[in-house]
Amino acid sequence: MLEQQLVNGLTLGLIYALIAVGYTMVYGVIELINFAHGEVYMFGAFLCMTFLTVFGAPLIVAVLLSMACCALMGVLLDVVAYRPLRNAPRLAALITAIGMSIFLQNLAMIIWGSRPLPFVKEALPAFFKVTALSFGDVNISWMQMTIYIVAISLMILLNVIITKTRTGTAMRALAQNRVCASLMGINVNRVIAFTFALGSGLGAMAGIMVSMFYNTMYPTMGYNAGVKAFAAAVLGGIGSVPGAMFGGVVLGIAETLGAGYVSSPYRDGVAYAIMILVIILRPSGLLGRAVTEKA
Amino acid sequence: MLGKGLKFFGTACLMGLLLAAVPALADDVIKIAVPSPYTGSAAGFGENVKAGVTLKVEEINAAGGIGGKKVEAVYLDEQCEPREAATVSTKIANDKAIVGIVGHLCSSAHLAALPTYVREGIAAISPTATSVTITDKNKDAKGNVWSFRNVYRDDFQGKFLAQYVDKVMGLKKIAVFYENNDYGIGLKDAFVKEAKTLGLTIVGEEAYMKGAQDFNPQLTKMKGGAPEALFIAGYYPEGALIVDQAKKIGLDVPKFGADGFDNADYIKLAGDAADGLYLTAPFLAETAGPDAKKFIETFKARFGRDVDWMSANAYDATGMLADAIAKVGADRAKIRDYLAGINTADKGYKGITGVNYFDQNGDCLKPAYVKTVKGNAFVPAPKQMD
Repeated sequence: MLEQQLVNGLTLGLIYALIAVGYTMVYGVIELINFAHGEVYMFGAFLCMTFLTVFGAPLIVAVLLSMACCALMGVLLDVVAYRPLRNAPRLAALITAIGMSIFLQNLAMIIWGSRPLPFVKEALPAFFKVTALSFGDVNISWMQMTIYIVAISLMILLNVIITKTRTGTAMRALAQNRVCASLMGINVNRVIAFTFALGSGLGAMAGIMVSMFYNTMYPTMGYNAGVKAFAAAVLGGIGSVPGAMFGGVVLGIAETLGAGYVSSPYRDGVAYAIMILVIILRPSGLLGRAVTEKA
Repeated sequence: MLGKGLKFFGTACLMGLLLAAVPALADDVIKIAVPSPYTGSAAGFGENVKAGVTLKVEEINAAGGIGGKKVEAVYLDEQCEPREAATVSTKIANDKAIVGIVGHLCSSAHLAALPTYVREGIAAISPTATSVTITDKNKDAKGNVWSFRNVYRDDFQGKFLAQYVDKVMGLKKIAVFYENNDYGIGLKDAFVKEAKTLGLTIVGEEAYMKGAQDFNPQLTKMKGGAPEALFIAGYYPEGALIVDQAKKIGLDVPKFGADGFDNADYIKLAGDAADGLYLTAPFLAETAGPDAKKFIETFKARFGRDVDWMSANAYDATGMLADAIAKVGADRAKIRDYLAGINTADKGYKGITGVNYFDQNGDCLKPAYVKTVKGNAFVPAPKQMD
């Protein structure tokens, strides 16, 4: 049973991780907690479903289109809601973020209705239902394998982008000191937009995989996932990309074990208790570096 | 430029005032309040109630209204949140044009709003709130009941299901899942209590929160106890995920639920795991009379989906309220007295869900029907219980 719970926890954790990197990257670059990120994740699922049903697109095309749309949505979010407040106190941007989150939730409700919708089953390959690996009592389905493979490869790709490309270098420079970076000739707004696009695209992928895995999507699904992913980002050390990945996996497993062995009504409580403990004992998070507050 | 802007602003303000004044001036409408969740995670249910009320109100108005006055339903959103419901209830009580209430949908919200209705003296008929606690809190100091419902209580449903599992299905080892709110806990408590009296074994009680998506940890744990059936005290969106995930981990046993499952969307969400669910419902289309058959057809044509019991109950609750207004006039206290007077089957309101009448606590006495899911459709269970 423990092994099966670990498999369940890893699935959940990798999804949290995918959402959490979006939070952490934005925080790293502009020190904003983008509370509307959960809604981008929700839009990812709904847009993919729409491309599949309304336009009859093949699965891969629908997924890529949805990711692209959400990346664009992330950029728009920055341009509309955050850029005008770039030099305002941080609290102002935080409140706008919450406002955007509520706005997007209601927008989705107007477009797709408030009833929960199933994923388009016909679009999924048949082998998704089949068990991929099984050791004794432990079963891993192909759907779960797909989540593992997609999430891990996307995160490897993200690391390559951040460490090896020019834009990635610019992102890291911005995270260290925005003013200095702009003096060095970096187009700050463009790099921030790129960060939003990258994080939103990954968030969309997480939303699509969740709605496939559980066969359901609803307009308020972003809230819970968003809060959990935020907790994961804090757990790993907000601002740190490997930290967000690690935090997501730890949170997913802790939650699953908490529900399986401690008490199911307290599953979220267990997850948050761990987060609070980490913050008390290691304020910079599990993988975060203790840096002095920027001027 | 500025002058022009001001003029425009002034005109807009005036027009707004005029528009706002129109309903206030027109005293040829009778207003009823329909507080339910229309946004938030329970909005899907609110839509069902709204659909039922809409059909009844349109029907009444098409027939000339009540005493020549049109009926207007005021839909107030409380998101199924007790806090919002308390705010909305004050708004309703203060609007003297409103004479009666159809709502609330959720038990938690209804309980939060109830003190206002009792204090201010306005009668509410809930088509859906099933919590037992409502019975203890719906009377004023003189013992007058202000909250009625045309749906049975959780303890009745829970007990009924335990007996059905034991006597009709002959299953002995049951795992229990419940949603952590008034509805889920009430249902679970009644089920477990009766199950223990009947000598059934409960192999696990697991809770979940509304909106939860992942039930694998709890299911994996329950599977260890080898249950013969799964009782799910909650609503269909989470319920559909539970049965789907149970099937995926190889826990393919009969499932039991209550009225929270009675929605065509359950089958869409649960897919091929939907079959083998038994549920209680206060409304069974197959045993319904000609009026109900007509309602079912109208509903489908109008909303493009199958009718659910919430819409049917809301349709009848609106009908009862309209009946009361027609008999005693648009007076809050008199409407209450009239509703409290419908206390035997003979005096009952003959609606599409059967005969509706209330006991001295404002609770209804309705039979429960058992439905099951077979071949991706809701059908009456092969054996009903007397």
